[in-house]
Amino acid sequence: MTSTALESQLVVGAILFALGMIGFLTRRNLILIVLSTELMLHGVSLNLTAFGRYHGNPQGQVFTIFVLTIAACEAGLALSLILTLYQRRKSLDVFLWGNLGEEDLPMLSSGNAPPQAKPIDPNIDLPQLTPAGRAPSNPATKA
Amino acid sequence: MKNGALLIPVCLGWLAIFWLLPRAKPRSRILGAIIGLAALLALQATFLPPAGNIVRDGMFYLFSGSAILAATLMITDRNPVYAALWFALTTLSVCGLFLLNSAPFLSAATIIVYAGAIVVTFLFVIMLAQQTANANYDHRAVQPVLASVMSFVMLGALLFALQEWGGIDGKADDVAREGQFVAVDASSKANQFSQPPSSNKTEIGSMRVLGRSLFSDYLYVVELAGTVLLIATIGAIAIAPRRSQGTL
Repeated sequence: MTSTALESQLVVGAILFALGMIGFLTRRNLILIVLSTELMLHGVSLNLTAFGRYHGNPQGQVFTIFVLTIAACEAGLALSLILTLYQRRKSLDVFLWGNLGEEDLPMLSSGNAPPQAKPIDPNIDLPQLTPAGRAPSNPATKA
Repeated sequence: MKNGALLIPVCLGWLAIFWLLPRAKPRSRILGAIIGLAALLALQATFLPPAGNIVRDGMFYLFSGSAILAATLMITDRNPVYAALWFALTTLSVCGLFLLNSAPFLSAATIIVYAGAIVVTFLFVIMLAQQTANANYDHRAVQPVLASVMSFVMLGALLFALQEWGGIDGKADDVAREGQFVAVDASSKANQFSQPPSSNKTEIGSMRVLGRSLFSDYLYVVELAGTVLLIATIGAIAIAPRRSQGTL
């Protein structure tokens, strides 16, 4: 393998990374944002395998396997997060989540803060803690 | 000007991407396609010289061209379902490039994990979530000028660094230099199960070499990756909405 082939692969990896970056910055759909990060990871994996072949050792491919592992974790977590967010607002638009502040707390920079849009249903937006463990027995009822 | 040839494909590519990004008023895609093809041809003339082996070159151009094309269509398509399918095509093309890099196991694993699992689950979510086919937030890009200019400045910087590195101009020799960037440390050398850098390049992606490297040099990292997977599974189950909270 000649070195020109290595640099061709590096160029392709750089192009894929730049395209994924454009997608990450310009899309408003939550799912497409996550898919764009996966596109960037593809570019990086291409670089890693090209260097692994160039140096004739398996370290590049081993590292790509770990990248694959982290990408799978990231996709699973992102999917469950997207499902939860979609259930709250019934939309995949990322602009609906531009404001994560709580309404009853004052803004940090009070004064020139823009007025905030009201959520659709304030009861839906409250976080719900999952009940965990067993409820302790009430001593008043036992006695 | 020594590096002036770098400006042509970068500027043409920026023009193509900027033209193709989704707008409120749709534009003609043929013009963007023509500019993009011109950018790819200029890039090929400047940066991607054929390596000499005609079969390998043909497969490399095929796979890399389809990867770049599908990635462009993915980030510019107005329909998210089609965008996810274009991403699957990008994954397949990148797996072809993995095969060219003598990584058959990695190629199969990437197809299974990405095209088989990730894209399909994301498609399910898109189809569940978007009963209305035309969502207006998919039809307008956020800050198209700033985002595309910034990304292409970064791409230009990467290409410039590659050019300055010297190999593209043909200054680099064809001899593969073992351990040029990463020196093998003493503990890895003392490990008798560690695989020494193989001289046979068709063997570096085989299961034997890969498994020896994974389970000797990177044993702790493998355990750590397994732990991360377990934690991510638990986290995903904890975050995902319950049936008692209503379905989609």
